[in-house]
Amino acid sequence: MSVSPAPVTGTGYPWPIENARLDNGLRIVVSEDHSAPVVCVNLWYDVGSRHEPDGQTGFAHLFEHLMFEGSTHVAKTEHMRLVQGSGGSLNATTNPDRTNYFQTLPVEHLELALWLEADRMGGLVPALTQETLDNQREVVKNERRQRYENVPYGDAWLRLLPLLYPPGHPYHHSTIGSMEDLNAAALEAFTAFHRAYYAPNNAVLTVVGDVVPAQVVELAERYFGRIDQVTEIPPPPGSHLTGQAGEPMRETVTAAVPAPRVYIAHRTHPFGTAGYDAATVLATVLGDGRGSRLYQRLADGSRIAQPDYVGAYGVDLAHAPAPIIATATAKDGVDGKTLEEGVVEVLESLITEPVTDAELARAKALLTTSWWHQMSTVGGRADTLGRYATQFGDAGAAAYRLPGRLAVTAEDIADVARTMLTPSSRVTLTYLPGENS
Amino acid sequence: MTLIATRPGPGPERPYRFPSVVRVPVGDGLVVAAHMPGHLIAGASLLLDAGASRETAGREGTATVLAKAIEEGTRTRNAAAYALALEGLGAELSTSVDWDTFRVGVSVPADVLPGAVDLMAEAARTPKLDAHDVARVRDDEVTALRMDWAQPGPRADAALRRDLFGAAQRYGRPMHGSPESAAAVTAEDVLAFHEQWLRRPGVLLVAGDLDRLDLAALGAAAFAGTQGGALAVEAPLDVPQRSQRRTLLVDRPGSVQSTLRLGHRSPHRAHPDYVPNMLAATVLGGAFTSRLNHLIREVKGYTYGIRADFATTRRFGRLGVSSSVQTAVTAPALADTVGEIARMKLSGVTPEELEVARTWRAGQLTVEMQTPGSLVSALATLVVHGLPDDYYPALRQHLLSATVEQVSAAAATHLRPQELTIVVEGDAALIRDELTAAGLSSEIRDVDDR
Repeated sequence: MSVSPAPVTGTGYPWPIENARLDNGLRIVVSEDHSAPVVCVNLWYDVGSRHEPDGQTGFAHLFEHLMFEGSTHVAKTEHMRLVQGSGGSLNATTNPDRTNYFQTLPVEHLELALWLEADRMGGLVPALTQETLDNQREVVKNERRQRYENVPYGDAWLRLLPLLYPPGHPYHHSTIGSMEDLNAAALEAFTAFHRAYYAPNNAVLTVVGDVVPAQVVELAERYFGRIDQVTEIPPPPGSHLTGQAGEPMRETVTAAVPAPRVYIAHRTHPFGTAGYDAATVLATVLGDGRGSRLYQRLADGSRIAQPDYVGAYGVDLAHAPAPIIATATAKDGVDGKTLEEGVVEVLESLITEPVTDAELARAKALLTTSWWHQMSTVGGRADTLGRYATQFGDAGAAAYRLPGRLAVTAEDIADVARTMLTPSSRVTLTYLPGENS
Repeated sequence: MTLIATRPGPGPERPYRFPSVVRVPVGDGLVVAAHMPGHLIAGASLLLDAGASRETAGREGTATVLAKAIEEGTRTRNAAAYALALEGLGAELSTSVDWDTFRVGVSVPADVLPGAVDLMAEAARTPKLDAHDVARVRDDEVTALRMDWAQPGPRADAALRRDLFGAAQRYGRPMHGSPESAAAVTAEDVLAFHEQWLRRPGVLLVAGDLDRLDLAALGAAAFAGTQGGALAVEAPLDVPQRSQRRTLLVDRPGSVQSTLRLGHRSPHRAHPDYVPNMLAATVLGGAFTSRLNHLIREVKGYTYGIRADFATTRRFGRLGVSSSVQTAVTAPALADTVGEIARMKLSGVTPEELEVARTWRAGQLTVEMQTPGSLVSALATLVVHGLPDDYYPALRQHLLSATVEQVSAAAATHLRPQELTIVVEGDAALIRDELTAAGLSSEIRDVDDR
């Protein structure tokens, strides 16, 4: 137990953090923890669906799939076999902001993970074939069907984004993309995508676990150091938004759903700001847990909402004001209009009824537990450090998030509610049972 | 730029350590704990022998309604006050019901675990269970089940389960009940279930930095006011044989995918082939690199994913394969799936496949057991199946030493492709003729478990 964190509340990250940068611009973050013989290797590439131009929606995510299909020295399907054959778990995700790749392995396989990641960072293009693209395009189309199209309410996020962000804004379209764009995707677009964005100077390599930082940096130099940097990474499209939306947006979907459901969403502040910390605590007060206002007033109280399907949450986007979303699903015999009015009333109570000390303490306690859960695995820690290094230029800034949330006052929440939860900026998405429209 | 061409080999292997396990009897109960020094989060879970198999016929869902009703207030405080007290500690109850157990757990920063365990025990042992509240929770559960059953999957699962075990057997009906059976649950049923099964001490599982926790005090809180010993476990079910495959069609008009569920009965958890079966299923469909995922996803592009496993409980097991495929390829995807199961039965696994499967399963014992929550689950396995404290290190050795002959023999014995029940939930009008033409089974029957 050479590094055993003390139970500190003044920091959200009581483990050591070492930073380094290779000559080609690859940033390296290492956090040492010898409590278990495991290591997580995590890469954040600063590219997501916000970078996609018109006609290429879904490309960043489809590209993420292609990264598992082989590279210069790794045969098709070999990547998964090597990691699983080492006892490891791996995955990758794409969202509007970024793409992350991560694997947790028994620590003796650290070098294998670095080799695999370096090979696909520097050598994906030679291995990319039309056959692979065609196969993964079908896989992604099935992912779209399975996760969004074939389940009731499954497309809510796809519908909320264009209501929240105006046409042309990088968050206007969803990460999964449209079937039309996926069908039209040509191989050249993906080779160009890799050349533009999968560069050492557009990535952060984070390694957390039973390692020694100097050795990690040495290995990173050996495997990644020979990859050329890209001199002109295209700048992301502008994502600035001035103030709140000027007019309410509304969509009503009649579909094969079992009960009316409403989503009420507002843009707040970008993730990482004090304002978004306040919005996060606000969302927790509003809709996280049985003690939240939505649960107490709609699931308990007036009993118009189903207890299992009431909630509020923020979506942690960093490059424009991030949304908070409140949702409720009607109990039997309750219509969509009654439900929507109920949710709006609770939402607006945050303006008219100050948050009590007990509400605030409850929300902060839940957020504290949630934070330490995230920190309880090497994978959770690595992804957090990678995020702060990528989005804020400083992995160590992760330590401030929890204290930032704990510093939020009732007045901060009232301020967000007053300025952000205005009817004129409201997005309302309602599902009503009926035949698919 | 020249990338390094040679794949690096592994560094020196670190010794595998499972956290030390402590067993502390408290009254009639037992605390089983895992020591995780330095961890800030600690988890505790009350494990009771009160699973779904204890439910009365026609009232499936009773235990699940009870699991939700215990948060509707206790003898000393109402629901809102209870929620505020618990969530004020940063805790939320996680309740679960499976075939063998009823569990109530909390996971919080270690310094507040004693308070969270007090509140957990208060809800589990002394819930108010007011008849009106229970009826309301029951109604909400019926609605929630309807919501769930509107998604693809639950109806297909129910059809498979009924076909494998028979509607007369508890295991032949949905583990958490159906909308109909939950609707039949009365407040008296819920009260009686609590009285009969939740007033026994059971076992308190704890994982965290034990230097900061008083296990006897936690046990005293968890077992207060309880009495009784452990219940006897009934004998495992036989694995009946079938003479032919059958296909069940669950209609979901307008569905853009077909939800596939294939399965047959298999041995229970304590069967000596547990490890070779796990490895055979891993090669077949238990990992991304499996044969099924390779063929159906990576070669054919029919699906986002396909999985196969041998699920096991104290009394039964079943082989299960599940996937969702694009409607137009329903029949070829099924033919490929059945074909892979048959191929593995016939020719077993290769040394290369087994090497990946056993190393992966063994490595997962390290990789997936980092958190107090995962350790609590591991302890639950020890308790439910009567396994010794050194079970996980022994399992790891067992996995790593399994041979091609053992795993291939298990595949030959326990995979029975000719006896599969094939359930397809999808747009019946679009797929029926194709399924008939594919000839995977002599019988195609329409079922509706809605």
